[in-house]
Amino acid sequence: MGALFAERKRWRKCFFFNRLRLCLLLLYFALLSSAHLCESATFDSFSSSPTAHTNNWAVLVCTSRFWFNYRHMANTLSLYRTVKRLGIPDERIILMLADDMACNARNKYPAQVFNNENHRLNLYGDNVEVDYRGYEVTVENFLRVLTGRHESAVPRSKRLLSDEGSHILLYMTGHGGDEFLKFQDSEELQSHDLADAVKQMKEKHRFKELLVMVDTCQAATLFNQLHSPGVLAIGSSMKGENSYSHHLDSDVGVSVVDRFTFYTLAFFERLNTYSNASLNSLFRSYSSNMLMSTAYYRTDLCERPLDKVPVTDFFGSVMETIHTDSTYKSVLEKRIVKPTSEYSCNNANNQAEQKRFFSGIVDPGTKEYSSSQCIWNVLRNKVEKIDNTDELVNYGLVIMVLLVALSTWVSI
Amino acid sequence: MGIIQPVLIVALVVLGCFNLCYGGEEFSEELLLRPLPDRKVLAHFHFESTTPPTKDYGHHHHLFPKAIYQLVHKFRIRELELSFTQGRWNYERWGGSDPISSSNAKPPGVELWAIFDVPLDQVDATWKNLTHTLSGLFCASINFLDSTTAYSSPAWAFQQSSGSIRYGALPREAVCTENLTPWLKLLPCRDKSGLASILDRPAIYRGFYHSQRLRITSNEFGSEGIEPGIDLEQTLTIVVQPDDQRTSTSYSSGKMLQPDWSIRSIFGRKISGTCVLARSSSVFLELESTLVSELNKVGVDNAASDGEQVYPGVELSVAPDQVIKERKSSSVLFEFSVKKHDYKPLDIGVKWKYPIVWSCVQAPFQANRFLMGSGNERGSIAISLRATNHQRIIVGDEFRDNCEMRVVIFQVVPWYVKIYFHTVQVFLDGRLEHTPAVIEIIQVSPSEDRVSPGVMEIALRLPCSTVSAVITVNFDKGFLHIDEYPPDANQGYDIPSAVVRFPDIQASTYYLGENSSQNSPILSKFQENNPVLSYTEVLLVPLATPDFSMPYNVITITCTVFALYFGSLLNVLRRRVGEEERLLKQKAAGKTALLPLILSKLSSKLRGRSREPSESPSPSPLLSNKLIMKVILLAGLAVAWHFYFG
Repeated sequence: MGALFAERKRWRKCFFFNRLRLCLLLLYFALLSSAHLCESATFDSFSSSPTAHTNNWAVLVCTSRFWFNYRHMANTLSLYRTVKRLGIPDERIILMLADDMACNARNKYPAQVFNNENHRLNLYGDNVEVDYRGYEVTVENFLRVLTGRHESAVPRSKRLLSDEGSHILLYMTGHGGDEFLKFQDSEELQSHDLADAVKQMKEKHRFKELLVMVDTCQAATLFNQLHSPGVLAIGSSMKGENSYSHHLDSDVGVSVVDRFTFYTLAFFERLNTYSNASLNSLFRSYSSNMLMSTAYYRTDLCERPLDKVPVTDFFGSVMETIHTDSTYKSVLEKRIVKPTSEYSCNNANNQAEQKRFFSGIVDPGTKEYSSSQCIWNVLRNKVEKIDNTDELVNYGLVIMVLLVALSTWVSI
Repeated sequence: MGIIQPVLIVALVVLGCFNLCYGGEEFSEELLLRPLPDRKVLAHFHFESTTPPTKDYGHHHHLFPKAIYQLVHKFRIRELELSFTQGRWNYERWGGSDPISSSNAKPPGVELWAIFDVPLDQVDATWKNLTHTLSGLFCASINFLDSTTAYSSPAWAFQQSSGSIRYGALPREAVCTENLTPWLKLLPCRDKSGLASILDRPAIYRGFYHSQRLRITSNEFGSEGIEPGIDLEQTLTIVVQPDDQRTSTSYSSGKMLQPDWSIRSIFGRKISGTCVLARSSSVFLELESTLVSELNKVGVDNAASDGEQVYPGVELSVAPDQVIKERKSSSVLFEFSVKKHDYKPLDIGVKWKYPIVWSCVQAPFQANRFLMGSGNERGSIAISLRATNHQRIIVGDEFRDNCEMRVVIFQVVPWYVKIYFHTVQVFLDGRLEHTPAVIEIIQVSPSEDRVSPGVMEIALRLPCSTVSAVITVNFDKGFLHIDEYPPDANQGYDIPSAVVRFPDIQASTYYLGENSSQNSPILSKFQENNPVLSYTEVLLVPLATPDFSMPYNVITITCTVFALYFGSLLNVLRRRVGEEERLLKQKAAGKTALLPLILSKLSSKLRGRSREPSESPSPSPLLSNKLIMKVILLAGLAVAWHFYFG
């Protein structure tokens, strides 16, 4: 805010120079016409300095109940195994399983869950920590986990205690449709709910970057309402497409894994903590022939180039270690210096700040031709009240037209 | 550095051991195996950790789990018992009056009760926080017990306590690996070494019954108890069917040979050593009194006996270190010390030579519970008590005519099953009895909708000659709100098990050894005088479930009707046909002057917006307006540029 006021003062000084006013106007229109305002370097000074990536969290949700949805639990547990293998500790994984498949009476292999008919890998090993299970997996609890609004009695292990340096992986699987995801076959999470929760998380500095990965039918529609900066989204299918299961295990009696998750895992099985595979290579590994649907990625909210983002940024917990010979202080300095050179997803994407900036520029332009301070103040108040930028632009244009007309008339 | 580190570690270990030996904290691990009459095997793991009181010992512990210590201190717990069970204990075949069936046979799902040492007005809040903490600790939905509809405070029928007890059960809670893992993490050696290392998850969950239990007894805050400090008892009771390697040969008498089994055949692993932190680490094999007498009979028939056999007809793969006989009955306990077999894996096995049929010692009455009636409106619950053969053994034939047996029943019913307590009826041997003659005490607390469950505590005094006693009570089924139905509402609703207690009969066995009963926690546990306890089945009550899509249908159809009605009505009321025609004509007339039209439109837009915000223009004229304005603006700019710089 301080910077903003300083900027305003500067503008006011500037406006006394009669010659400069048109440059100013031109600058204003140039800004208006540019499609990617946020990319402009001018705005960098307005965003708060970004924090470094310090920790990783994973929220893995299986939303389906009943035995025939075995594959959804296998999907979630496969992801659980992967993120654990790549270094995210159990206390930073929130695992939500809507039903008990491992010890289900229908399960021929008690306490075991497989995602492949070769049964080589038991996903339900000896060390699974399920945080929310059964009836606890509801839309309410899911949104509570994301937004961090819990009852005071809820233990730490059931909370997402992320901060502004966190990279969060949010994986959801279940049955979905156009802009919704079913929970427990009885309630729905809508794309608006998800977007709202993510927005709240952003406001509360609960994440630095968020990767939403959804394996449902029409998964892409679930991301339609997302607007928060720093969010990446991967969906298994486009609107109007189904996500199919991969294969059936005739011993278990049901399909054991979905195609999208199967090929995601196939990608990750080749990796370890030290590998440098980028998100782009993950995206490229999906082919619509194998998936029988079109994988969808939404990357417009994140500005890091995806070929430079390692997958371990989200699916693992790999921190950059800075080797120093001296004491804590110099480490701190390095930490502070580092982010400025780093790409950041949330650089100046804050819309509120944009608006303030606009009003700051419009102010001198309108004052220019009004001799009385009173009218100026009225105008400024009005301008500040306007929420709709389109309206603002319209008003601005009308005033400009009048001014130009007046000036030409005077000159003649 | 490289050399110092191991030395330091060794030093620390040695120090730790000294602390362990003299510090007062103790841990012991024991396993009891018992063949069951129906060709199954019972395995009962018993782990016990104790710590001296904080005021003598301080807050730091070497063996005792920190999580439990903090739990006890935070919630001021005097006693707590938490059990996770899957399957139902078969009282008829697996026994009903021995210590294991009384204290380790638990109702399916989760059962939790706790006694707090806090003022009475804080008990509920403490309970609520406790359930949440436990749910985080054991990865289960125990937090569903926090609402007042889910728990109750039994006055006397469950435990004798001073009102600070809370009891809750979740019959449908799934029990799986994720519950066992945190339970095992409370052990100092986890499942890495010692007896717990043989706990193969699939082997446990393949069984017919498994119940993991955690019991905390603390005397940190009061001085009434005898033993100060905190005592944590963890037991895991499993009933499994061993794989029968031999083809089950049928003998002439139609008797089946019991399957041979060993620890390896049950769990797939052998006991490879002790947990070094344990004070005692032993395995027991118990042969019940009825089995022993059968074996003796067989021994008389087939006199030829080998030296290896402990009993004729039974062969053990490992020679026991000690044989302990029960004081009252003829039960036998073989003790195997794991420490003595430290160098090679211990694999205790039993081989049977002759088919033997025996039955377990049962409780005086076998309790069952069932539903009566049909339909979605009302029904009744019946608890039936059938006298078992063993009643005669326990009570004795000579006293049958004039003796009486006390039976205490504790039953919690959720609020949507509305019990009419005045309809309690008792039938003895099929005859309806005058209730005051049979019921000694009855205490009920009626349920309150969405606030509290119904609780019924009954003490019956039955003549010993009773063959069957049935208690019935009627209920109405309540209606739930749409948001109160669980996702799988069509499955029905569970009524938690009723607890049936026989206060006159103690479930205790006295195994007298030279020194083992003093040392072995499991045997001293067996000696405690606890009344015989049994749980009834969980009842599944179908409630009327609505068609959940119906509200949506109703909403959509209503909205459609309203929209059609109000839409057409408003159209009729507001539309002025004459005015519209006049406007059209005017438009046709005023097509010539374009500039004045645009100007007037502009001004009207500016004024109209500020004055009448309700009148929103359609998007297409707005777009054209914008376009026109932008064009004009560009032109204006060009003119200005030209004027100033040109």
